[in-house]
Amino acid sequence: MVFSSLVFLFAYLPFTLLAYYLVPRGGRNIFLFFINLLFYGWGEPTLVLLMLLNIVINYAGGFLVDKYRSNEKKKKLYLILTCVIDIGILGLFKYTGMICETVNLLPFINIPTIEISLPIGISFYTFQTMSYVIDVYRDDAPVSKSFINFGTYVALFPQLIAGPIVRYRDVAYQLTHRKETMEKFTKGVLLFMVGLGKKVIIANPLGTFVTQIFATTDSNGVLGSWVGIIAFSMQIYFDFSGYSDMACGLGNMLGFEFLKNFNYPFISKSISEFWRRWHISLSTWFKEYVYIPLGGNRKGIKRQIINLLIVWGLTGLWHGAAYNFLLWGFYYGILLILEKFVLQRFLEKMPAVVQHIYTLFFVIIGFGLFYFTDMSELGAFMCSLFDFSQGLFGAQALTLFLQNLPLFLAAAFACTPLSSKLYARVQDFGGMWLLQTAFCLVVLFISTSSLAKQSYNPFLYFRF
Amino acid sequence: MEIKNKNIKISSFVPAAAFLLFIYVMGIWFLLAPKREYSPSEKRYLQKFPEVSFESVANGKFGENFESYFADHFPLRTMWVGLNSYYNLAIGNNGANGVYNCSDGYLINAPVSTENQIEKNINTIIDFKSAIKAPVSVITVPSTGYICNDVLPAVHNRYNDDEYFTQISEKLEKNSINFIDLRDRFKKAYAGGTELYYKTDHHWTVDGAYEAYTEFCKKLNITPAEKNSFKTEKYDNFYGTTYSTSGFWLTAPDKIKLLAKEHKGLTVEITEGNETKKYNSIYFKKHLDEDDKYPVFLDGNHAYTEIVNPDAKNGTIVLVKDSFAHCFAPLLTENYSKVIMVDMRYYKESVSEIVNKENPEQVLFLYGIDNLATDTSLPWLE
Repeated sequence: MVFSSLVFLFAYLPFTLLAYYLVPRGGRNIFLFFINLLFYGWGEPTLVLLMLLNIVINYAGGFLVDKYRSNEKKKKLYLILTCVIDIGILGLFKYTGMICETVNLLPFINIPTIEISLPIGISFYTFQTMSYVIDVYRDDAPVSKSFINFGTYVALFPQLIAGPIVRYRDVAYQLTHRKETMEKFTKGVLLFMVGLGKKVIIANPLGTFVTQIFATTDSNGVLGSWVGIIAFSMQIYFDFSGYSDMACGLGNMLGFEFLKNFNYPFISKSISEFWRRWHISLSTWFKEYVYIPLGGNRKGIKRQIINLLIVWGLTGLWHGAAYNFLLWGFYYGILLILEKFVLQRFLEKMPAVVQHIYTLFFVIIGFGLFYFTDMSELGAFMCSLFDFSQGLFGAQALTLFLQNLPLFLAAAFACTPLSSKLYARVQDFGGMWLLQTAFCLVVLFISTSSLAKQSYNPFLYFRF
Repeated sequence: MEIKNKNIKISSFVPAAAFLLFIYVMGIWFLLAPKREYSPSEKRYLQKFPEVSFESVANGKFGENFESYFADHFPLRTMWVGLNSYYNLAIGNNGANGVYNCSDGYLINAPVSTENQIEKNINTIIDFKSAIKAPVSVITVPSTGYICNDVLPAVHNRYNDDEYFTQISEKLEKNSINFIDLRDRFKKAYAGGTELYYKTDHHWTVDGAYEAYTEFCKKLNITPAEKNSFKTEKYDNFYGTTYSTSGFWLTAPDKIKLLAKEHKGLTVEITEGNETKKYNSIYFKKHLDEDDKYPVFLDGNHAYTEIVNPDAKNGTIVLVKDSFAHCFAPLLTENYSKVIMVDMRYYKESVSEIVNKENPEQVLFLYGIDNLATDTSLPWLE
């Protein structure tokens, strides 16, 4: 189930909230545990078993690591064992196809390619449960005494399928001691509305636009190609950060507090700043559990470069089992290395405008690698960004752009922190609740209407 | 839940209350409201409550169908669809649903994709012509947006009718097929104030069809029936296809006009599969009670229709067509004693066999240009 669906908004959510607050505090985690399974199992119920397996393994892993806390050898053994199983399951379900294809590239080998469909959210919850076992090992988090509480944490429906990747240590206390308050609930509703608006009102129409404009890649002209890839970059941002906002908002409604996952990434002045603002929970995870254990920057420049390449190669692969994602990861790895050791000195002396343009240019090109999974299409598209021989702006692309111009401007504005700065100034005025209510209703009305519209399918034969 | 800070005003919770009120009202409304079976504006049956079984739940089919069920019966669904259309219009995205909201109350389909079936379909017609003896003519109806371009919104995709028509006429004339190019005549008539197309439907009006009929007669050297020899009937409240696809519910309805003439002994035989039904009128007035009244002409789409008029002087004409022909065929019956209509989307037997058996004076292909561009059933001719 996704948040931006009628069934979630008008059936699952009302029921869950009502039941959650009717259940006495002591039973709320048990209730959440089961209602999460319904949420997750809605589309593909059998995959619930896989998630339960993951919960059991990591619960047991954490338990064993804790039990042998004084026996360094055994403790390490159980940690490694758990992590190997976790990565093994993730690898089996996510990368088998890619590995088969790669092996088949070798001469004289032709193994059948096994198609395994990716269980939704597996990349997210696997990383969450691994963070738990590692944190217990490092004494950064207490061991979970209750299977239900641990299961509730892993399967918590707000962040289950698209993040943020909540570390166990950040919610361990909240799992047992959270307080649901009206203030938090209202804050959650407002955040949820912001997220729903980002997703349904901005990201979805941008997505339609992107599909339409990339249907005619060879006749869009230089500007058309740029408009397309900029729209795609914004679509990804609003889609993903909207989902994170909805997750945090829903968490608030249930009494939780999650950390921010996006912080206006497009206003960054360098690539490394961009990655401190984009998908923060993922960058944090890789830093804490991969980069620093590998030695980080403490073992000399050579080793640091290798570490960065490993981390970014893995970050790329985490996003998807395809070579363009690997390329995308290395692209950022190399950019960050260049930035750190060469460019930074020069950039800092440049005017802010140049720093912004530099960052946006590489980020947007990066999303090109993200969109075109086919290498030859990718190559053709990259050329079209700089090839003026095909004209400036194709007629069809221009029409499409003009039709969506107000959406574009609104989206560009929403990429900047201007609106939240403005909001911070006025939020203490007495009549603010009226504006907030109006905002909620407008988002609800427009979102409901676009979601209802998706189901309105006049039967095609009557076109004739 | 508790209020932590007692200094906070109750009013600060109003946004959350409004949110809860909205999701609960809609949720409960959905539970209580009676469910419809059929959606006339979409011409489809709505999703029924999905079957619950171990298998359907386990393979996710139940969840999927339940989502369709929920969406299909969502409270105020029609209103939401309309709200979305007008929202898109308000933010400048006219044509978001593939229909432009134009001045003068016109709802016009956006142009078809430039990657289309026209060349393939024309080649099929040429191949067909070489296999039969009867003379062949082709009429393609220009798209509404091409003729009525003055009402279109400022930002719209280009209608490529000129390119298509040139391409078609060159190909057909090379193969000695008669192409009746309606562009000039239509532009003149439209400039003169004739409503050639419906405002809320993609079809042409009887007046549009009459223009095409006279042009056709002129090309073939036969005398068209005078317009004033017919009795004009007009009916209100016609909401056509572009209306129901667009969601622009505030658009004023169309009028539908018929040109009627009594002929003794006129019969209409409609064949669908193995079943043939016989009628005495071209007009099926029961459809005038529906929103979409266009099926008043010959009862809408059917595989095979035969109209016999003993009063007419000429022999037989075979009409391979889409629904644009439904208001055109009645005019042909003034001249041809037997009009055989074949719809390739439903008729899956040999058309050349009909031609060999009936030995018609003329074979006419009549398609709207948009349909010719998107139709994939014409190759059944072979």
